[in-house]
Amino acid sequence: MIMPVLEALVFATVICGFFGLIIKKSLVMKIIAMDVMSTGVIAYYVLVAGRIGLFAPIADSPDAILENGSYADPVPQAVILTAIVIGFSLQALMLVGVMKLARDNPTLETDAIERSYRP
Amino acid sequence: MIELLPIGAIFWAAFPFFVGFSIYLLPQLSRALTLVVTFSSLIFAGLIFWLDSPQTFQLLDSFGVTLTVDTLGGFFILTNALVTLAVLLYCWRSDKVSFFYTQLILLHGSVNAAFLCADFISLYVALEVLSIASFLLVTYSRSPRSIWVGLRYLFISNTAMLFYLVGTALVFKATHSFQFQGLIESPPEATALIFLGLLAKGGIFVSGLWLPQTHSQAESPVSAMLSGVVVKTAVLAMVRCALLAPALDPVLRLAGVATALLGVAAGMVERDTKRMLALSTVSQLGFVLAVPATAGAYALTHGLAKGALFLVAGALPSRDFKVLQEKPIALSLWAFGTIAALSVSGMPLIGGFVTKALVSKSLPLWQGVALNVAAVGTAALCAKLIFLPHSAAVTAPGKVKNLLPSMVVLLGGLMVANGVNPSAYSSLDTLVKAVGIVGGGWLLYWIIIRRVTLKLPWGVERLEHLTGTMSLSAIAIFLLVLYLMPLGGVTP
Repeated sequence: MIMPVLEALVFATVICGFFGLIIKKSLVMKIIAMDVMSTGVIAYYVLVAGRIGLFAPIADSPDAILENGSYADPVPQAVILTAIVIGFSLQALMLVGVMKLARDNPTLETDAIERSYRP
Repeated sequence: MIELLPIGAIFWAAFPFFVGFSIYLLPQLSRALTLVVTFSSLIFAGLIFWLDSPQTFQLLDSFGVTLTVDTLGGFFILTNALVTLAVLLYCWRSDKVSFFYTQLILLHGSVNAAFLCADFISLYVALEVLSIASFLLVTYSRSPRSIWVGLRYLFISNTAMLFYLVGTALVFKATHSFQFQGLIESPPEATALIFLGLLAKGGIFVSGLWLPQTHSQAESPVSAMLSGVVVKTAVLAMVRCALLAPALDPVLRLAGVATALLGVAAGMVERDTKRMLALSTVSQLGFVLAVPATAGAYALTHGLAKGALFLVAGALPSRDFKVLQEKPIALSLWAFGTIAALSVSGMPLIGGFVTKALVSKSLPLWQGVALNVAAVGTAALCAKLIFLPHSAAVTAPGKVKNLLPSMVVLLGGLMVANGVNPSAYSSLDTLVKAVGIVGGGWLLYWIIIRRVTLKLPWGVERLEHLTGTMSLSAIAIFLLVLYLMPLGGVTP
């Protein structure tokens, strides 16, 4: 019962982030909205991993038998770790870019920036 | 030999990253090291064509990375190697610092990795590394405008890749693997989200409207890389998916036709040379997508020609066609530009012709008609460059000296590309049709386009609108996939 609710909440987070990306005017807010969105995506991977079980998939002794169905799936977690790192570095890069832009455009309003740099 | 291929492929894929980061230690060797990397790619591509045995191998267990080495990817790798080589030769005498070459190698390496991999997660990593390297290259000049264009690119590509990641999770949920094959058994929303990401990343149709500004704002060598190879990474991934899951084939064909027509229509009325070339890229990617089986060859000739065109456009005295039409340009510049432009238009004797013939050989009627219309438009668009006034009396700008070696690589490559499909020359129909298309395009140019320049509304290219378009294309692709795969992802 709890799974569908969690899934709905996770997708709500993704959608909220996406809307924030469109609605928010400030570049910094847009980056934060993107972070919210990626948090949602990461949570979804964790949710997918926890579908079949919730224990950490670590065997504490060599001959421990991992019972099928009670341990979390390690693959999505391992994969999303890469995505977290990439997302983090992209965000750092974008914030540096925004800092540079802030010198000429102190308000960091997308509209104003776009108008001044239009082709 | 074939047994060594997996190990060779891994070493070759990792090699650019080792070299790229070692440039920080050996900055004085930056250009030589870049040359070594491009040659390693050339050799690897040659090896693929020589062995000519498609191979897919999995590293580690069934959850490991999947790599595919085949001639389809070989064409793309060759394109990457040649365009990077040309860009390197063009920049050889410039005052670019070693940082530029580091990013160039990393971009080259991540593009190669994207061409090699056959699972969604490796592709994701490759595409993200590639966006970071492209961002750093686009913003190389550090001007506020270039930083804004780079940021805009990161916003779009990162958002697209987040949707892509959700799609990938859905594929894993359905099939317990990240391989491209999994798409066949996945629910339609997985396909929709993954294609949404790839279409945006590849610059296809309305999801690709970020592309003109990004590619035209960057310096010309960077534009040549971006337009020549970088956008093709996502395109190749889509082509591979369509080849594995034939039910998705119509999605690609539809997207291909739509982007071919949109790009060419917008490009014809454009006043700015580099924006026009970027819009032509949007349109040419449609031809790459049109027939999955021939995507490689078309991508090769387009990559070489577009790389050459961007380098030439960078050496022109102005970016405005109005200004260029008033004052003649140097003959050598004109000649380089004309050969590349004729290739894009599909004129016989140059590589673009044989690959265009290859594409149009196996098209259903509706697609054939639409793509021929786009081809006429492309010829008209290229005519804008071909009919620029030129004169032998004008002394070429100093940049032309740097241009020569890279033109030898790119235009020479285009001539050799004739060998891809020599049978095109034996059919009179094909020859007549190609000349007819080019002639029709030139007629269109002289009658209408030469006199018309429209200022298209730039609103669609604003960040919010680009992001919003993404949600619309998500819905459109979802409905399309739902229609094509009605049985919950099971192919009929």
